[in-house]
Amino acid sequence: MDIKSIEYKNIGEIMHTYEHKSGLKCFVIPKKGYSKKFATFATHYGSINNQFIVPGESEITTVPDGIAHFLEHKLFEQKDGSVMDKFSQLGSNPNAYTSFAQTAYLFSCTDKFDENFGLLLNFVQNPYITEESVEKEKDIIGQEIRMYEDNPNWRVFFNLLRAFYVNNPVKIDIAGSIESISKINKDILYTCYNTFYHPSNMIIVVVGDVDAVKVFEQIDQSITVNSSMPEIKRIFPDEPDKINESYVEQQLAVSMPLFQIGYKDSGFCSKGMDCLMRETAIKILLEMIMGRSSKLYNELYNEGLINNSFEFDYTIEENYAYSVFGGESKDPLKVKEVVLEEITSLQQSGLNMETYERIRRAQKGRFVKQFNSVERIAHNFVSVYFKDVNIFDYMEVYDKITFEYVNQVFREHFTADKLAMSVIKPA
Amino acid sequence: MTNNGLSDSQVLEIASFNGIKVYQIKMDKFKTNSVNIFFHDNLSREKASKNALLPAVLRRGSVNFPTIQDISLYLEELYGATFDCGVTKKGENQIIQFYLDFICDKYASGETDLTKKAFDLLFEIITNPVTENGVFKKEYVQQEAKNLKELIESRVNDKVQYGVDKCLEVMCENEPFGIYDYGTIEDIDTINESNLYEHYKYFLETLPVYVFVSGDINDEKIGYIIDKLKQIKRGEIKNIQSANVEKHVSQVREVVERMNVNQAKLSIGFRTNIEPNSDNYYKLMLYNSILGGGIHSKLFQNVREKNGMAYYVFSRLEKFKGLMVISSGIEISNKDKAYDVIVKQLEDMKNGNISDYEFEASIKSIETGIKSLKDSQLQMVDFNLSQIIAGTKDTPDDIIEKVKKVSRQDVMDIAKYIEMDTIYFLTSNQ
Repeated sequence: MDIKSIEYKNIGEIMHTYEHKSGLKCFVIPKKGYSKKFATFATHYGSINNQFIVPGESEITTVPDGIAHFLEHKLFEQKDGSVMDKFSQLGSNPNAYTSFAQTAYLFSCTDKFDENFGLLLNFVQNPYITEESVEKEKDIIGQEIRMYEDNPNWRVFFNLLRAFYVNNPVKIDIAGSIESISKINKDILYTCYNTFYHPSNMIIVVVGDVDAVKVFEQIDQSITVNSSMPEIKRIFPDEPDKINESYVEQQLAVSMPLFQIGYKDSGFCSKGMDCLMRETAIKILLEMIMGRSSKLYNELYNEGLINNSFEFDYTIEENYAYSVFGGESKDPLKVKEVVLEEITSLQQSGLNMETYERIRRAQKGRFVKQFNSVERIAHNFVSVYFKDVNIFDYMEVYDKITFEYVNQVFREHFTADKLAMSVIKPA
Repeated sequence: MTNNGLSDSQVLEIASFNGIKVYQIKMDKFKTNSVNIFFHDNLSREKASKNALLPAVLRRGSVNFPTIQDISLYLEELYGATFDCGVTKKGENQIIQFYLDFICDKYASGETDLTKKAFDLLFEIITNPVTENGVFKKEYVQQEAKNLKELIESRVNDKVQYGVDKCLEVMCENEPFGIYDYGTIEDIDTINESNLYEHYKYFLETLPVYVFVSGDINDEKIGYIIDKLKQIKRGEIKNIQSANVEKHVSQVREVVERMNVNQAKLSIGFRTNIEPNSDNYYKLMLYNSILGGGIHSKLFQNVREKNGMAYYVFSRLEKFKGLMVISSGIEISNKDKAYDVIVKQLEDMKNGNISDYEFEASIKSIETGIKSLKDSQLQMVDFNLSQIIAGTKDTPDDIIEKVKKVSRQDVMDIAKYIEMDTIYFLTSNQ
């Protein structure tokens, strides 16, 4: 068994990796002294993959919105009932989530790891989907969709994505709509499963006080597939660089307007270290421009234009990237105006090197803190892995990144014609 | 004062003086150290809004760090330390809390004094606020009063949480527990920089304080923290009461609230009549787990899996006030059907209609949940604080042992204590 181990001395962590002959990539990050053991089995398949060519075929398959998430729900159903019950019998907590680009199945346990892990490996590899159970799931997911319809933070975010993107499927709600899921049936679910759940399109991450060799051996015994699958052709519509709409508004039962503003990013490299470098640069920039230690934040706060709910972030994935900032405000348009003025003025006067250095160091410190939590490690590992990098690479980025590079990204990313705004107003 | 022989995650009271108790939780597996400071008050209409406004004003600035910008800048210099403060309620206690975490020295290249620097900042924010003419700065008080009012109004934004909180508040509207963590808008309007400063003195001098230092911090640094805390001028310490738990219901109340929503929330509040320090509490924990404490529970299996009526449904305990609440997001037209399914589960609990699977899985679920607490500094602090408020001295392992001893008959007996009090339904305007 060919196991590679890399030690990351500066944060006191080790990662063991093993590649199964099926192409499945497996990772163990041991956490000595932790009670919880956490395992994730994830596929490189999410809500944005609604068009693809099945390996061996030539025609494009188009599937209903929300199907990746629907499949995630249905995989728990097994011939002899819900596999959730079996996890419960062992006292563990199974769960799953679907994001834009990944679907992940996971459990956390404090006891009987091998048995739990066996269940996870088994159920993800063995779907059992019936027409009857598909119909019942439509009711449950229908209520999940309704819940999100009433969630203003979710709505303000998806409305912003719709403002950014003309064609990119990232603008579609992860769970789809009640109308789109009504078209889902057993056969389409199996088509998606067979295309995207081949081990060569998947990874396993285990975090906790476990023996890496034993984990890899168990995987070896459980995965019967012998070879990799040909590449899946994922079809993405062409997306113009320009934004779709500069302003979108919706009314909901909220007390005060909620807003999100952001820049649609383009011309980026979304794989490898370059991608982490850009992400880190923009996160540093956002903190420099509008973080709590900035002049801008304090001005907005003192003017009563923003409150404690103000946040910002940057996301970069295979074929989209954007920054976003927002919160609650009585006057979101005024916030936008003040922010734009500050960005323009900073672009003229230049960034402060001392501020940059202080924030780079602070973000590095905050990055280290994430390694307190087994869930956070596993979750973040999965979310960056399919970009051909791993979470430990961030440490290198924090050390390598330069003020010159951050300045260059500052000029590229924050351009007025890429700015869009989403507002939720009280009904 | 020694921590020799202190095992991982064990809590130790290391000092007690002037109504201030200092606890250490030794946990060297984490990347961070943290300090939590809790001031306890009785939850009362008179004090609630002031207690809520106080940390919001203190976080605005101190004499040596007079603005949010100054505080944030310094936190960044401390390798991205995190500071937060606010209020919360546990039973009929209102707790004003201050929190700071920072990475261990070994991850902060060359730094050896992060603990002292970080604690100095926390201490400064609490004890040395910006003042004007001997009272709080007017501008800060006015702004934070406005923010706090907005925070109270924005409760409706999170419909899931609102559906739960509102049910229990309506149910306890004539008891201290019915007071919202942040008080009321009317009360906030009566606060100014002078009366809040008077309240600040009351807070600093008379409220009992619990300090938790967790992580990998040596005796010398703990000693430094204790010496600083001893500098706080203290008066006669206020006596904090525990919540009144026993209440019997003569008639179930139904409350309907209308809003512009797509999904309805059905919440049902109960009186358990069980004190948090009684032996019955462990039985109640198991009762709740079987009823609605996870995917193994009756509510999840029946409301969601069997009938497809909800995406989420659960029951939850409010330990200190002896309350239980069931909540679910459902189709508006399904109210009666969902209610019937829920009531059927309550009856099954009473009649001992509990499968081996439900019983065993519930015990294991509690065990896993409690063992998992040890993997989080914040959760271990919260666990130990809860022990203090409940007047119990359980370790996580003690609780697991006690729950494992609960029998099926015990669960059936507990069902008899539980009385439905209020049905709260959040629905659309139509």
